[in-house]
Amino acid sequence: MTFRTRLLLLFAVAVAAAVGVVEAIVSSRARTAFENMEARRVNAIVAQFDKEFQRRGEEIVRTVEGIAESPVAREIAITPDPSAYLTEAGTLASTNRLDLLELVAGDGAIVSSAQWQARFGYKEDWLPAEPDWQSRPAFLKREELPDSVALALMAVRTATAGDMKLYVAGGRILDREFIASLVAPEGMRVLLYRNLAPAFSPADLIDSQGPIASAVLLRPLVEQVEKQANEAVLTIGRGLSAETFHALPLKGSANDVLGVLLVGNSRRDLVELERAMLWTAVIVAVTGILMAIALGWWATARVTRPVRRLAESAGKVAAGNWGATVEVSSKDEIGQLAGAFNRMTHQLVEQRERLVQTERVAAWRELARRLAHELKNPLFPLQITVENMQRARENSPEQFDEVFREGTSTLLAELANLKQIIGRFSDFAKMPAPEMQAVNLNVLVAETMRLFEAQLAKAGIGASAQLDPALRPVHADGEQMTRVLRNLILNAVDAMPEGGALTVRTVAMGSGARLEVSDTGQGLTPEECERLFTPYYTTKTHGTGLGLAIVQSVVSDHKGRISVESEKGKGTTFRIDLG
Amino acid sequence: MWSPWSVETKRLATALLLTAAGFAATRPHYGGTLRVEIRESPPSPEVFGVPQGFVLTTWEAGKRAIFTADDNAPGGRPFLDNVEVQLGRSLRDQSVDLELGRADVVELGATELRRQAPGRHVWSSSPVRLMALVFGPRIVDARVREALALAVDRNAIHSVLLQKQGEISGALLPQWITGYAFLFSAAADLAKAQALVAAISPADRTLSLAADDPANRAIADRIQLNARDAHLNISVVPPTANPDVRLVETRIAFADAAHALAGVAIALGLNEPPPARNPGEEYLAERVLLDGFHVIPLFHLPEVYGAGARVQGGPVITQLGEWRFDSLWVEERP
Repeated sequence: MTFRTRLLLLFAVAVAAAVGVVEAIVSSRARTAFENMEARRVNAIVAQFDKEFQRRGEEIVRTVEGIAESPVAREIAITPDPSAYLTEAGTLASTNRLDLLELVAGDGAIVSSAQWQARFGYKEDWLPAEPDWQSRPAFLKREELPDSVALALMAVRTATAGDMKLYVAGGRILDREFIASLVAPEGMRVLLYRNLAPAFSPADLIDSQGPIASAVLLRPLVEQVEKQANEAVLTIGRGLSAETFHALPLKGSANDVLGVLLVGNSRRDLVELERAMLWTAVIVAVTGILMAIALGWWATARVTRPVRRLAESAGKVAAGNWGATVEVSSKDEIGQLAGAFNRMTHQLVEQRERLVQTERVAAWRELARRLAHELKNPLFPLQITVENMQRARENSPEQFDEVFREGTSTLLAELANLKQIIGRFSDFAKMPAPEMQAVNLNVLVAETMRLFEAQLAKAGIGASAQLDPALRPVHADGEQMTRVLRNLILNAVDAMPEGGALTVRTVAMGSGARLEVSDTGQGLTPEECERLFTPYYTTKTHGTGLGLAIVQSVVSDHKGRISVESEKGKGTTFRIDLG
Repeated sequence: MWSPWSVETKRLATALLLTAAGFAATRPHYGGTLRVEIRESPPSPEVFGVPQGFVLTTWEAGKRAIFTADDNAPGGRPFLDNVEVQLGRSLRDQSVDLELGRADVVELGATELRRQAPGRHVWSSSPVRLMALVFGPRIVDARVREALALAVDRNAIHSVLLQKQGEISGALLPQWITGYAFLFSAAADLAKAQALVAAISPADRTLSLAADDPANRAIADRIQLNARDAHLNISVVPPTANPDVRLVETRIAFADAAHALAGVAIALGLNEPPPARNPGEEYLAERVLLDGFHVIPLFHLPEVYGAGARVQGGPVITQLGEWRFDSLWVEERP
């Protein structure tokens, strides 16, 4: 991915992220505002409910007080046989528009019941248990009816005539008509759950129209409020149909939860608002991204042009053209960078030239040192021999012939040595290109080791060849590979002056081959291993340091790889892998 | 259907007269039409008897019957020219019609009795109507029937709903006919009823009850409440809903025990008892009929009629509840 593409992507992502963040913040603020508004509306409904509850309660109290103070109530209170008043409660309830009314004698026995006429004579023990009903406000009560149970707002007053007392317990059922009296704002609705059955009953969850269809969904909320006797909130449904319900417990005189008031608030407005904001954000984001791409295309072209030139110049430098430069067209950071690049390449060229010069000098010095060292050894015997011959000619003419014969022999030997040293240097300088052909390494190893049998035996070295019969011929120059093997064997011989074991191993490696030469000599240190293939480097007291350099050069010409594995005191293994 | 005019009235004593004070005596005179309303609605005139001294002249099934004075009646022509009987009027409607002067003689139930204005003529017979619970064939477990019999609090119903009319009874025939009705227990025993119900499977504890007469719905409701105390689940249903138990009233048409028992047994769907020759056999026959609690006698109730101010003479009914219109006349008031 190009720098320009990345910049474009960066612009687009930045715009999208900015729009997303703004949208998230606005959505969050909107949701908070909506929830605050919802809370205010719920509080208003609850306040309205409380007010209506209180108003109805006061109305019921007044009605019940009126009945208790009526002549008929006093008449019933004092009559010895109240059976004649069996239907009186029904009449009074109808007249006073009460759903429930019971006239109860002082001992708690029902004289007349509007809601359940057949219960005459049954005891309402909770009425005599309260010493003073006159000051009690209306309260919620679960009232049993002939074929059902109702939740009612009740009030109790007493009619007294002398020592006789009559309880007047009247009230109205909290039903859908009561819910209908609560005016809820648009999008809100009020539900009432009447806790009448031992378990949750969907039929007891009503709104102003009666039982609601989705009662089962609100069961967890109702049960939570019943259990904890505290307010709770639950959202049901998803999307536009989502609705949040605030549930409040309605407690009876014994502080038991007799009902649950549920205020439902549709989340349609919020969802629609959020969707509108989302769409706006999407449109803004898309527009912003398109604009960012357009502007970015133009801006990045300007920004990336010098960078691209820099990259091209850097590529040229990497390819070896250290003299590559960049046109400096501005004074900004990019211009400064281009200037710095030009200075850097200029310095690189200068440093390279200095380095080459230095290396060249060092190489010449090393070559001169090595040549001096190599040539000095044979020159010293030559000088001694000539001086011996001169001394013998002057001091012992009778022995001169013998000295002369020995001296010339020595001179010839040392001159041959000098010739050999010069030949090695000449060979390294003139390493020919390999002539590739199919070579059987197993045969090559066997023949080479045969040449060294006598030398190895003389040096006390046991040689073994472990040749892989599965090895196939490799593409190589047989003569150069022979030279490689010979150098490695000679190195091994030099590494084992006290004798040892030499192992040459071939291993088939797929279509290629591996050649290993191992000795049990004194081994090498890691530092020695690292410098082993450096020309003119040697760990021996004699030698040119060109042997392993030649080996590495040949292996390299064969597209192969050479490595060394050694442990001080245990031996060394040279490993050559050929393609 | 019972027939009040089929009774041998000659054997009976004079009708029990329960009248309020202020029944002003006027001179009898001929003429006028007596308007009578009753709850029942006989399907045909054959089962609808004819009052003494009258002949049936008009019959509109389910609506009305008109009786006209018989000039050749054995006891002499009645004072009234006609008696027009409205059929199938509820007790409440009858009471309203009496209040508004649209009827002269109506039946009075307990509720209507409570509302009667002072000075109104009220005639009552001896307890001649048996109110009882009759089980249908679905309730096969006798323990259910016995539990309900023990659960019903007759005293409360008698005191309040029936306004102490008639008498509580555990017998089919009233005490005034047999003299041994008190031997049949009518006491409630809720603990025993609950123990019986506890031994019954829950499925058998549910049954339906219907009152044949809508006027008795309040009594059915109270029985339902009593049954609930005994852990029996009774639902009150309309009579047409094929209930498990029916609250029925049947009229006792004979003053002698043997005939009365036979009539009641037939009316309640029980086996007709064998002829009894003495009170001991009559008692045993009744005891056999009540074994198994297929029928639970509750009360023996009188026939009660109220008359408007224009009605003179009387009484309206005999001790057995038969109509006696031949001694009545009506005063037309300006």
